[in-house]
Amino acid sequence: MTALVEAEGLATGYPGREVGRDIDLAVAAGEVLCLLGPNGSGKTTLFRTLLGLLPAHGGIVQLGGDPLDRLSRGEIGRRAAYVPQAHAPVFPFTAHEVVLMGRTARLGPFAQPGRADHAAAGEALDSVGLADRAGSPYTDLSGGQRQLVLVARALAQEAPLLVMDEPTASLDFGNQALVLSEIRRLADRGLGIVLSTHDPDHAFAVGDRVALLQDGRIREIGPPGTVLTDASLSAVYGVEVRVETLGSGRRVCVPSLARPQSAGAGSA
Amino acid sequence: MGRRAGTLSRPAFASPGAATVLALLLAVAIPVAVLIGPYPMTLGQVLGVVADRLTGTPAGGDTVDTVVFAIRLPRIGAALLVGGALAAAGTCYQTLFRNPLVSPDILGVSAGAGLGAVLGIFLSLPVAAIQGMAFAGGLACVALVAGVAAAVRGRDPVLVLVLAGVVVGALAGAATSLLKVLADPYDQLPAITFWLLGSLAAIRTDDLTPALPAVVLGLLPLVLLRWRINVLALGDDEARALGVEVRRLRAGVILCATLITASVVAIAGVVGWVGLVIPHVARMLVGPGFGRLLPVAVLLGALYMLVVDTLARTVGSTEVPLGILTAAIGAPFFLWLLARGRRSWS
Amino acid sequence: MARPILLFLALLLMAVPAAARTVIDSAGRRVEVPDTVTRVFAAGPPASVLVYVLKPDALLGWPRALRKEERAYVAEPYRDLPETGRLTGRGGDANLELVLKLKPDLIVDFGSVRDTYISLADRVQQQTGIPYLLFDGRFENTAASLRAMGAALGVAERGETLARDVEATFADLDRALTEVPETQRPRVYLARGPDGLETGLKGSINTEIIERAGGRNVADSGDGRRGLVQASIEQVIVADPDTIVTWDRNFYRAVRSDPLWAGIAAVKRGRVYLSPTAPFGWIDRPPSLNRMMGLKWLAGLFYPDRFPADLRAATEDFYRLYYHVDLSGPDLDRLIEWADGRAP
Repeated sequence: MTALVEAEGLATGYPGREVGRDIDLAVAAGEVLCLLGPNGSGKTTLFRTLLGLLPAHGGIVQLGGDPLDRLSRGEIGRRAAYVPQAHAPVFPFTAHEVVLMGRTARLGPFAQPGRADHAAAGEALDSVGLADRAGSPYTDLSGGQRQLVLVARALAQEAPLLVMDEPTASLDFGNQALVLSEIRRLADRGLGIVLSTHDPDHAFAVGDRVALLQDGRIREIGPPGTVLTDASLSAVYGVEVRVETLGSGRRVCVPSLARPQSAGAGSA
Repeated sequence: MGRRAGTLSRPAFASPGAATVLALLLAVAIPVAVLIGPYPMTLGQVLGVVADRLTGTPAGGDTVDTVVFAIRLPRIGAALLVGGALAAAGTCYQTLFRNPLVSPDILGVSAGAGLGAVLGIFLSLPVAAIQGMAFAGGLACVALVAGVAAAVRGRDPVLVLVLAGVVVGALAGAATSLLKVLADPYDQLPAITFWLLGSLAAIRTDDLTPALPAVVLGLLPLVLLRWRINVLALGDDEARALGVEVRRLRAGVILCATLITASVVAIAGVVGWVGLVIPHVARMLVGPGFGRLLPVAVLLGALYMLVVDTLARTVGSTEVPLGILTAAIGAPFFLWLLARGRRSWS
Repeated sequence: MARPILLFLALLLMAVPAAARTVIDSAGRRVEVPDTVTRVFAAGPPASVLVYVLKPDALLGWPRALRKEERAYVAEPYRDLPETGRLTGRGGDANLELVLKLKPDLIVDFGSVRDTYISLADRVQQQTGIPYLLFDGRFENTAASLRAMGAALGVAERGETLARDVEATFADLDRALTEVPETQRPRVYLARGPDGLETGLKGSINTEIIERAGGRNVADSGDGRRGLVQASIEQVIVADPDTIVTWDRNFYRAVRSDPLWAGIAAVKRGRVYLSPTAPFGWIDRPPSLNRMMGLKWLAGLFYPDRFPADLRAATEDFYRLYYHVDLSGPDLDRLIEWADGRAP
C-alpha cells in the first residue's frame, strides 16, 4: 500500500542554514507516527518541509506516491491536512467559519462553500464534540477547544493524512488527554497521522511508531517500546530517564530530578 | 450524539440584512443629496428634468438640468465610487496583512499618486493629464514596492512588503515636498495644496468614464476570489496548507486593490481614513468573514463618502476639502471604537 | 598747535563708515540704512519687482529665476541676474550665508506686514547685521511705499515720479467710479488653476485688484474671511459672474467649450479674459507693483466707455516707465494676444 507520506534522505532547513538531514520516514493509513525530540531538534522544520511550506535542502518527499514538487497546492491540500498549534487569532471568526476554511482545497478558485461544505464542517465539529460551540467566536474558546477546532478543520479537509505540530503544547492536563484520545480515535477510523511532541508519555499513549530526533537526524525509528528506552531517552534529553510499566500495561517515562551524572561524581 | 450541526451557523452579532439595510439607506440618501446644493431648485423642477431625460425631451440649456445631471449626479456618483473603492481596498489590505490597522496607503499608492499629480500641476498640465499622472504615479509606486519586495527575499514576505511600502512612500513624499518648494508660491502651490487635501468639487462626467470601469475591473476579481482571500487571514503557512497559492493570490489582491485606489485618488485627490475606519465598522456589523465583509464595507464606504461630500459642499460658504472632513469625523470615531475596548479586533 | 589734532580728528571722521540714515518702514521699524545703497537683496518676488522698477542696477538677483517667456520682457542687463531664493513666505529657501556672500547693503521685503514677517525681518537683521526694510504691498499703500523705498534706495526722484503716476491712476479710477453705483459694477470671478475652481475671496491681496478697478468679486464668503479657496462649479453658477478673469491658459482654452460653464453669464457674453503674465502677472503673481498694469487693463475691460484708452499704447507706456523696456511690435502682440477676450 502506498505510504501517505514518505521521505527519503530528506535534508531540511532554511536558506543558508541546514537543520535536519538523512531523514527517512513513512506513514501508512491508520498509523500514528510520533516525532519525539527536544526543543530545537528540527520537528517543526521537518513538518513544514513535508507539507511543502519550506523547500527541502535535499532528498525526496512523496505524498501519496507522487513527488511533492510536482503537486499543486490544492493537490497537496487534498492529500495532507495541517494542524498547527492553536494560536491567538487576529480576527474573531466563529468556530464554524474556521472549520469551514478547511474545505478550501476541495473548492475551485472562484467557488464559495456550498451546502455540502457547510454540512461537512458541521460534522467535523460534531465529531470533536464541539457542535454546540459552532457559533462562538474562536477567541472565546479555551486552548484545548481551539486545538480541537483546528483538528476539526483538518478533518473537514477530508485528507487521508493529518500532520499535527505539537498538538498538546500549552494545553492543560485535561485538554491534553482530550486531544490525545481524539487522535487515537481518528487513527482507528483509518486516517494516517504524524504528530510531533516533546513528551515521551504521549508517544507511548498514542504512537504506533516513534521517530526519535536528535540534532536534526532520526536517531531511531520503530515501535515505542523498542525505541524509547532508558538509554535512548537519557541520551536525547540529557537527563536520566527511567521507563516504567504500569499495572495496566501503559508505559510512562520518569525523569530523575537529580542533576545529570557526571563522570566520577557520587550517585544521586 | 449524532445531532446534525450542519445548519448554516452565523456569528452571534451578524445581521444578514446589513447589506440590505445599507442599500436601502443609500437609496434614500442619493435623492436627498441630489436635492442639496447652493443652486436653488424645487423638487418639482428636479422631477421635471428627470422626467424630461427619461422621455427623451431635449433639455434645451436648462440650468436645472445642467446642475442636476452634469454637476450633482456625477459628483454623487464619484462620492459613492471613491468611498466604496477605498473601503474595499482597506478591507482587502487588512485581511491580507492580517492587521486591522492597515489603510490602503500602506504600499504607497496615495504617496505615488500625489507625486504624479503634483508633478502635473508643477508642469502646468491640463486637468486630464494631471489625473493621468496621478493614476500612473500610484501604480508605479506600488510596482516599485512589489519589485523591491520580490528582490529582497526575506523570511516574512508580508513584513518586507510593508517596509518597502514605508520606504517608497517616504521617497515619494520627499519628492512631493521638493516639488512644493520649487513650485511658484502664488500660482502652483495653492493648487498643489488643495489637490493633496482631496476634493470632489471639480468632478464631471468625463472623470467617471475611466474611473468607474477601472474600479469595477479591480473589484470583480476580489469578489470572485473572496473565499480564498478570506483564508489568507489565517497566515501564509496555514493558508498554503489549506490549498491556497498564497504568493499569487497576494499579488493579485495587491494589483486589484492598487488599481481601484489609484483610480479614485486620481480623480479625488488624497482622501484618508475611509479605508482605515470603514472596514472596522463593517466588521463590527457582520464579522470578519471576507465574503460578507466586502459588500458591506463597500456600501458603508459609499454611504459615508456621500454624507461627507454633501457636508463638504454645504457646511461652509466655500468647499471644505474632503481629507479634512474624513479625518475630523473619522478620528474621533476611531478613538471611540478604541475606548469601547473590544476584546478582539472586530 | 591745534592743527595736528584737527587733522587727526578729520582723519578719524573720514575713517568712520558712511553715515547712516534712519528709515521707518511700513511696520514702524526704525532701521539704520547706509547713505548710498547699491546692492539690494529682494526677500521675495514682490520686493524684486519693486527694486527692479525703482533701481534695477541695485538688484542683486531674482528670488525665482525668470522663465524663458518672461525674460524677453525684462530689460536686457537684468535678464541674467542670478537666482537668489526667497527669504519670506512658506519655504524660504535663501541660505543666509549666501545672502551675506552677496554683501547687500539692504534687504527689502514688500507685501504683508503681519507679525510673522516683522519677526522674520528682525531676526534676519539681527543675525546678519544687514538692514531689513519691510513695506506694505497693498494697493492703498503703494504710493507711500514707492516714496519711502525710493528715498531709501537713493532714487527719491524716481520714487516720486512713480508714486505720482500711481496716485494719478487711482485718482482717475476713483473719479470715474463715483458715478457708478455699487449695483452697476461688474460681477467678476477670478478663475485660478487649470480647472478654474480655485479663487480668492473678496478682500484678499490676490483679488483686491478687482475692487480697485471698480468690479465686485463674486467670491464673497460674507464673514470677512480672506484668502484662497476652492469652489465648486455649482457655486460659480449660482454666483453667475458677468466677467471672468484668469491667467491659466489651459482653463482659458477649455472654458468656452465646456458645457458646465456655458450657462454662466460671462461665458455666454464672451467676457472671459486671459491676463498676460510676462514679465510679471498683471493681476497677481506676484502681488506687487505689476498689478498697476492689470489695474489699467481691468478698468478698461469693466468700463470701456469711461476708460477708452488704447491697450497697446497704455502697455507700451507702462512697460517703458516701470520696466525699462521698449516693447517691439511682435513682443507686444504676443503679450496682449488674449487680453481682449477673443476665443482661442
